[in-house]
Amino acid sequence: MKPVTSSNHYLERLLQTWSKPSPNTLPWLKQLQVGALDCVNTLRMPTLRDEEWRFTDISSLTKLPFPVVSNPSSLQLSDIEAYCLQEAATRIVFVDGQYAPQLSCVDSDVVAGNLLSLSCAYEEEIAQHIGQHIDSKDNVFAALNTAFLQDSAIVMVPCNTTITAPIHLLFIATQQEVSSYPRCLIIAQSGSKATIVEDYVALQAANYLTNTVSEISIAANGQLNHVRVQRESRQAFHIANCNVSLARASNYHSVSVALGAAISRVNLNVALTDEGAECTVNGLALISEQQLADSHTFIDHIKPHCSSNQQHKCIVGGTAHAVFNGRIMVRPNAQQTDSKQSSRNLLLTDKAHVDTKPQLEIFADDVKCAHGATVGQLDDEEIFYLRSRGLSEIAARDLLVYAFGAEIIEQITINSLKQQLKQSILEYTKHSE
Amino acid sequence: MSTVLQNLVNQPYKHGFVTEIESEVAPKGLNEDTIRMISAKKNEPEWLLKFRLDAYKKWLTMTAPEWQNVKYPTIDLQAISYYAAPKPKKKLASMDEVDPELLRTFEKLGVPMHERAALAGVAVDVVFDSVSVATTYKGKLAEVGIIFCSISEAVQDHPELVKQYLGKVVPVGDNYYAALNSAVFTDGSFCFIPKGVKCPMDLSTYFRINTEGSGQFERTLIIAEDDSSVSYLEGCTAPQFDTNQLHAAVVELIAMDNADIKYSTVQNWYAGDENGVGGIYNFVTKRGLAKGVNSRISWTQVETGAAITWKYPSCILRGDNSVGEFYSVAVTNNYQQADTGTKMIHIGKNTRSTIVSKGISAGHSNSSYRGLVRITPTADGARNYSQCDSMLIGDQCGAHTFPYIQVKNNSAQVEHEASTSKIGEEQLFYFAQRGIDAEEAVSMIINGFCKDVFQQLPMEFAVEATKLLSFKLEGSVG
Repeated sequence: MKPVTSSNHYLERLLQTWSKPSPNTLPWLKQLQVGALDCVNTLRMPTLRDEEWRFTDISSLTKLPFPVVSNPSSLQLSDIEAYCLQEAATRIVFVDGQYAPQLSCVDSDVVAGNLLSLSCAYEEEIAQHIGQHIDSKDNVFAALNTAFLQDSAIVMVPCNTTITAPIHLLFIATQQEVSSYPRCLIIAQSGSKATIVEDYVALQAANYLTNTVSEISIAANGQLNHVRVQRESRQAFHIANCNVSLARASNYHSVSVALGAAISRVNLNVALTDEGAECTVNGLALISEQQLADSHTFIDHIKPHCSSNQQHKCIVGGTAHAVFNGRIMVRPNAQQTDSKQSSRNLLLTDKAHVDTKPQLEIFADDVKCAHGATVGQLDDEEIFYLRSRGLSEIAARDLLVYAFGAEIIEQITINSLKQQLKQSILEYTKHSE
Repeated sequence: MSTVLQNLVNQPYKHGFVTEIESEVAPKGLNEDTIRMISAKKNEPEWLLKFRLDAYKKWLTMTAPEWQNVKYPTIDLQAISYYAAPKPKKKLASMDEVDPELLRTFEKLGVPMHERAALAGVAVDVVFDSVSVATTYKGKLAEVGIIFCSISEAVQDHPELVKQYLGKVVPVGDNYYAALNSAVFTDGSFCFIPKGVKCPMDLSTYFRINTEGSGQFERTLIIAEDDSSVSYLEGCTAPQFDTNQLHAAVVELIAMDNADIKYSTVQNWYAGDENGVGGIYNFVTKRGLAKGVNSRISWTQVETGAAITWKYPSCILRGDNSVGEFYSVAVTNNYQQADTGTKMIHIGKNTRSTIVSKGISAGHSNSSYRGLVRITPTADGARNYSQCDSMLIGDQCGAHTFPYIQVKNNSAQVEHEASTSKIGEEQLFYFAQRGIDAEEAVSMIINGFCKDVFQQLPMEFAVEATKLLSFKLEGSVG
């Protein structure tokens, strides 16, 4: 791969691999793609000079314009067994950004699949939502994703339906030096209830880019439990944009866990668009070596009587770098807002570092808003307490790190995934010694 | 929200008047000749002219920053006159010789210099527009070796000190307005506390902007040598004008080993009328360098005036065990905007910093706290505690928090807390039950809210600040 020098050159090279939508593409989809392409052409790659990217240096990414996968790997069920969740009745699998029907299965209660197969039967609903919850105008990665949008994972939870088994959206990376543009559209119709796992995994240690966009719409009284797990290869780049829109009295609960990737960046935007909406947004970044995990969240209180609760934790070892930017906006007239935010960061080595910015913007007076942030290392007194009970210093440290991370993991309701992630923390503590 | 409070908030500015004194005003506009003219007028040495010209060259390459959370029309810096001084008169031997008009101005402001000096033991270095006209208690301070004078005097009398320290904490190219200030500053205060001296009284300066259309570019430099300590007060009031006036000051503090500098500000400049017309633009660069071991720099500010306040008094904690403090109350009303906060840069070992910021917004105003706590890799055992609370009065105002926390050392402990609240109906009801009317109740609640900061102010400032706050917010709650 020939490295490129300027970031505009990077976009040029990426767009060279862009192919015109085929003639039988749906007209509204074609329009969406071309519109996004126009957006890309007006934008440039962000640098450290941009406020939104001032702590996350993606210059290493902009040197490598990975092309889209041309020949997707064909995998067997046995190849991905380790990543399947036993509780999940519905599983939608994408390999290197391409739908893999042979690995997927769908439960009859829910409408799930890929865009191409569902676009006939549900064209109206899909067209109404896809590309509508994300703004490509000043977000070059979202614009790129939409420009390269060929297929998408789609989940529609019908009205007043409760889906107890989790729905697993699995995105697998198998190839070196490629870009993939996964896309998810989740529509929770009014009064519905479901749990969705959005899972990014790699089958080998490889250098590639995942640029993903998820759009989630929750209608009135809907409840959605969203678990996002990013366990990409340690050399990969992972850029994600997730936009959630909540209608009246709906509820969104999310846990986002970042374990992998050399550089990962997640933008999670939650819009509370009507009264009585509630969201809980939790996150954990568990990183070491030279990893960088960046999480930008934006919770927008647009209407009165909404509440939000956010807890974000980072465990940083090696020479890793964690970034958290949590913005909470309370719009004029969004009275009776109740918003809590906390950012807690644990630095395990003297080379690890963290940049955190919990940010409040409040335009209404009758609100309760509080945020807090802490950065520190393990408490000597806590270690002493455990040692006085006979634990070795190392065991005491491991236990405290585990407990710090487990507080977030515990909120995941899927047992097998919870165990897998807890295991990841245990392994992390072993490696970081 | 009741009308009582509305009325309270909307009290007219009590210090609005223009003193008619003949001023010597430079032609409007900024170029190298203006700078040479200022320098020549002030009979400055060659190195200072070079300092100004370097700053000017840097400034030409810079653009006005836009990241701050305030909105204002572009300032035409060429429409400002960069030098205004009361006509030079013969040296004044006593207060009686000061222009009576000038004295009356201070009288109106409630700054009876002689009285205050006598009663409270405060030496007031009065900066009227840009030239220092009267300095009291100089002799008394000189006895213990303290130099407290205007910076132009210091340039003449102690050039070696000024040369050694000027621009060392805020470099000429630090930011757009600091560069502008470095190029065109006309006057300000200079204070030097020699080794081992505890300053026997609080030092104080009153700033006034007087000539319409003249930007004020103050420069303050305070140096505290080993084992010394000083408390410095700065207070501001300005007359009522319709055109916006720019104030871009630079304040530099340097604390050596075991030295202690306390810098307090009460700012009550003209904030514009209730429709947001007029008012002062207060764009200030304030920075302290805690250079020596065990040194301490403490900023306390009460910001009630100015159409736009935009300043971040900062501490660079370089010496081991040095301490930085920032206590702030910012009150905005009508269409005022404030973007203020602090930067704490921890470099030395076991450095500690405390940030307490209280923002009160009423009317259509917006106030932001923007702070940076940076722990560099060398700052082992650094400790920071930040607390920033906002209070909103009315539903048209905004309160914002932008705390940046950057930690590169795992032995550091950093904590940040913020909350937002309003004056609740129940609170007012509780006061009413006890026979306290809404107005007084609000004043009491606000004073309680700001107590942590007021406690840090010197006595006479605390009294003034409490009064200031209640009349600023008079009529805004109910």
